Amino acid sequence: MKIVIDPTLCEGNERCANAAPEIFEVRDDRAHLLIERPPARLLDKIRLAVRMCPRQAISIIDDDAQNN
Amino acid sequence: MEAQAASNQVMSTPEFSLDTIDIITPDHYQKNGYPHAEWAWLRKHKPVFYVERPRVDPFWAITKAADIMEISKQPKLWLNGPRLAIFVLDPGETALPPEALPLKHLLNMDPPEHGEYRAILSRYFTPRSIRALEPEVAKITNDVLNDVMDRKECDFVTEISSKVPVAVIAEMLGVPRKDWTMLFRWTNEIIGGGDPEFQRGENPTETFAQARMEMFQYFTDFVAERQKNPTNDVTSIIANAKVKGAPLPTLELLSYLLVLVVAGNETTRNATSGGLLAMIENPEQFRRLKADPTLIKSAVEEIVRWTSPVIQFGRTASQDTAVHGQKIRAGESVCLYYPSANRDEDVFDEPFKFDIGRDPNPHLGFGIGEHFCLGSNLARLELEVIFRELAKRLEYAELAGPVARLRSSFVGGIKHMPIRYQIKPASA
Repeated sequence: MKIVIDPTLCEGNERCANAAPEIFEVRDDRAHLLIERPPARLLDKIRLAVRMCPRQAISIIDDDAQNN
Repeated sequence: MEAQAASNQVMSTPEFSLDTIDIITPDHYQKNGYPHAEWAWLRKHKPVFYVERPRVDPFWAITKAADIMEISKQPKLWLNGPRLAIFVLDPGETALPPEALPLKHLLNMDPPEHGEYRAILSRYFTPRSIRALEPEVAKITNDVLNDVMDRKECDFVTEISSKVPVAVIAEMLGVPRKDWTMLFRWTNEIIGGGDPEFQRGENPTETFAQARMEMFQYFTDFVAERQKNPTNDVTSIIANAKVKGAPLPTLELLSYLLVLVVAGNETTRNATSGGLLAMIENPEQFRRLKADPTLIKSAVEEIVRWTSPVIQFGRTASQDTAVHGQKIRAGESVCLYYPSANRDEDVFDEPFKFDIGRDPNPHLGFGIGEHFCLGSNLARLELEVIFRELAKRLEYAELAGPVARLRSSFVGGIKHMPIRYQIKPASA
């Protein structure tokens, strides 16, 4: 599982960092990833961050198969 | 346990008929408030509903949160430009072609132009930029409360909730204090032109035309002054901005300012009035906020969900597509009902309960996606400060007369809300 933030959409609204502070941090008005490949136990929080992002800038890429 | 207010009851769903159900006439909104029973019924029975009624071009009513999100996430498929919102004409009123009274602004622009114009201001509306305004907003709020402190009754709308947003947006734009009353009147006329109380001229269109012309005249001079002598206010930023290396054309420049004034005023005022009304109807929630000020952020989110001041925006399909399995043809319009999404049983537990501790609260009160409310962080700050100060200073409040609602099916307004109250001085 990989997390991607679309920099052309993100406006630094901080909803992701509120939902999943382990993964997202907002610096200089933009969201940044603290971990690009978070552990599966954080999936619920990440899904919440994806849902709460007002610009819908976050995606979860399920690429585990191709890594195996 | 206290008796819950009527508005908190789980909505029993009366039966409606698709032929007669009314979710669009301004009179219905003025008389009865939001048609939550109708929306609940549509969510259950007809979430994508083709509405054909007198004096309005047909449209598809979208009432489920998931469908509104899906549409909002595809700004090239679903355009804002052709039909910004769904308006019903008054009897005898004729529709003017859009080019008769043009406006060109963030709300009716589409990609890629929309992004270029949004980028001019987006960094001034981030949480970080907006947080810097907190002391100013707190001062404005406490001044407004001090003005009514020695009294026992007032109209909460005209004397409290409408005063803070107009002062804040006017300060941001650099509009001098002597002109604030005028800004306020234009806002009322542009949003509330369908309400007899705010009408000038024969009908809503004439009222809008008049207010638009006066605002454009006012800002033409103001912009010229800021182009000569720029300051650090928002008017200076827009007046001297460039898109693709060129200054903004006059229409785009004046429309940008008009929209900031209107959007920055009406919505926050109505969230504030509706928020206090919810607290009055649910006194245990107000006591909870007084007892635990750390609830302020979730309280603000719940107020926005509960009041949903923007009722709807439209989108028009740029090609044949489908929503919730329903085919929709290129050129047809949908109407996104945000207050309905904010009571969607598939998203919220007990959606008809006003709960200031609700978390998470994925409401769509500010929209979502490309056109997500640019001023959301400002609105949140204003509501946080207002309700923080009310929780500290408002000892009690009750209704002292009937709540008067705006005649509009676009923005849900409370025009007047007489209250009996006791406000104590700000603690030093």
